[in-house]
Amino acid sequence: MKLRAVREGLLLVALAFLPAIGEGIYFRDKISWQSSIPASELVTVDQARAWGDSAIWVDARPDEEFARDHVPGAFSLNEDHWNELLPQFLPNWSPGKKVIVYCSAESCNAARDVAKRLRDEAQLTEVFVLQGGWEGWVKKNR
Amino acid sequence: MKTSILTFTLSIFICVAARAELKWEQSTIDLHPAVGDKTAVAHFKYQNTGTTPVHFKSVRASCGCTTTQSQKEVVNPGEKGEVVATFNIGDRTGQQMKTVTVQTDDPNPSQATTVLTLKATIPQALEIKPTFVYWQTGEEPKPKKISIKASKDFPAKSISVKSNSQNFESKVEPSKTSGEWTIEVTPKDTSHPMGTALLVQSDYPKEAPKSFYVNASITAPPGAPPALRPNVPGAPPTKTGTPAAIPSPAADR
Repeated sequence: MKLRAVREGLLLVALAFLPAIGEGIYFRDKISWQSSIPASELVTVDQARAWGDSAIWVDARPDEEFARDHVPGAFSLNEDHWNELLPQFLPNWSPGKKVIVYCSAESCNAARDVAKRLRDEAQLTEVFVLQGGWEGWVKKNR
Repeated sequence: MKTSILTFTLSIFICVAARAELKWEQSTIDLHPAVGDKTAVAHFKYQNTGTTPVHFKSVRASCGCTTTQSQKEVVNPGEKGEVVATFNIGDRTGQQMKTVTVQTDDPNPSQATTVLTLKATIPQALEIKPTFVYWQTGEEPKPKKISIKASKDFPAKSISVKSNSQNFESKVEPSKTSGEWTIEVTPKDTSHPMGTALLVQSDYPKEAPKSFYVNASITAPPGAPPALRPNVPGAPPTKTGTPAAIPSPAADR
């Protein structure tokens, strides 16, 4: 009796897996392989503002969007012109300064990519991505 | 009564038969641009395998670095076409994944939106680690090392380093392994903040040798105004929201 219950239970579990596996195969190209940003690397607009002068803002959006508007004092640093913009940004950094990188919105990837390059290539520590990006900043400030 | 049943059945049949369906040849395309390529272009081909026309409502790329072009607004039954996605590589390296979201007027919601994915593997000509070395103000001016490694697709035999700053000395040491070097950077004076970008030039490709930058700074002490703008050969003016934050002129000549 017990064995039958276990067998049936296992069969139900296996059946439950079937549609999931099928969906995984069918939508394999649509699965997002981009890892999400760990919470320790994110900062909210309020937290970032509280850091005041001990933080430096980096705008990872394209040049035109930066030219239209940006966080006051932010430096433009995007991957379109990384080699030109990085040398302009770095002299303004000093040890102990936090770096806050933002792009257009929560869903954009540019801030994460720029933050990663600052950590990996320039070996800066304390580099954060702004939650909600530029849209989030505008909502809180206007 | 019989007529209304027949009409109902026929209308159901017509509704089912009159369907719009855009079939994509591939929804993911892998691209492998060569060193120095400025763009990577993906052609997403489709065909309307349904019996009614399909209208494109929007074709949107996930980032400003990708532009899209759909050849037509309406795709008639049986017609073929393509959406062209052009990814501007800029100074990006490594694995890049960009998406293009296509929306059509297909009444079936699962068919109305298609996400096309462009995966590009951009070769890194020179692996430079780190790209930035710094000394704190007043720190002993000891040399710092930067290692450089050419990728197998970038057969550079030698590199040179140039600096516009007289305060930073640099020398290149070739490694025992071919295609690897060490750059040693030494500041003469660390008494005040300054920065420079060192221009690393390879001997490849011969017609137009590629340039790279490494950065060196003497950082400002905590609470001090930001350091000075480096003298970068050929670079555009600094882009910042507060010009006052950057003392002019370039620090270090």
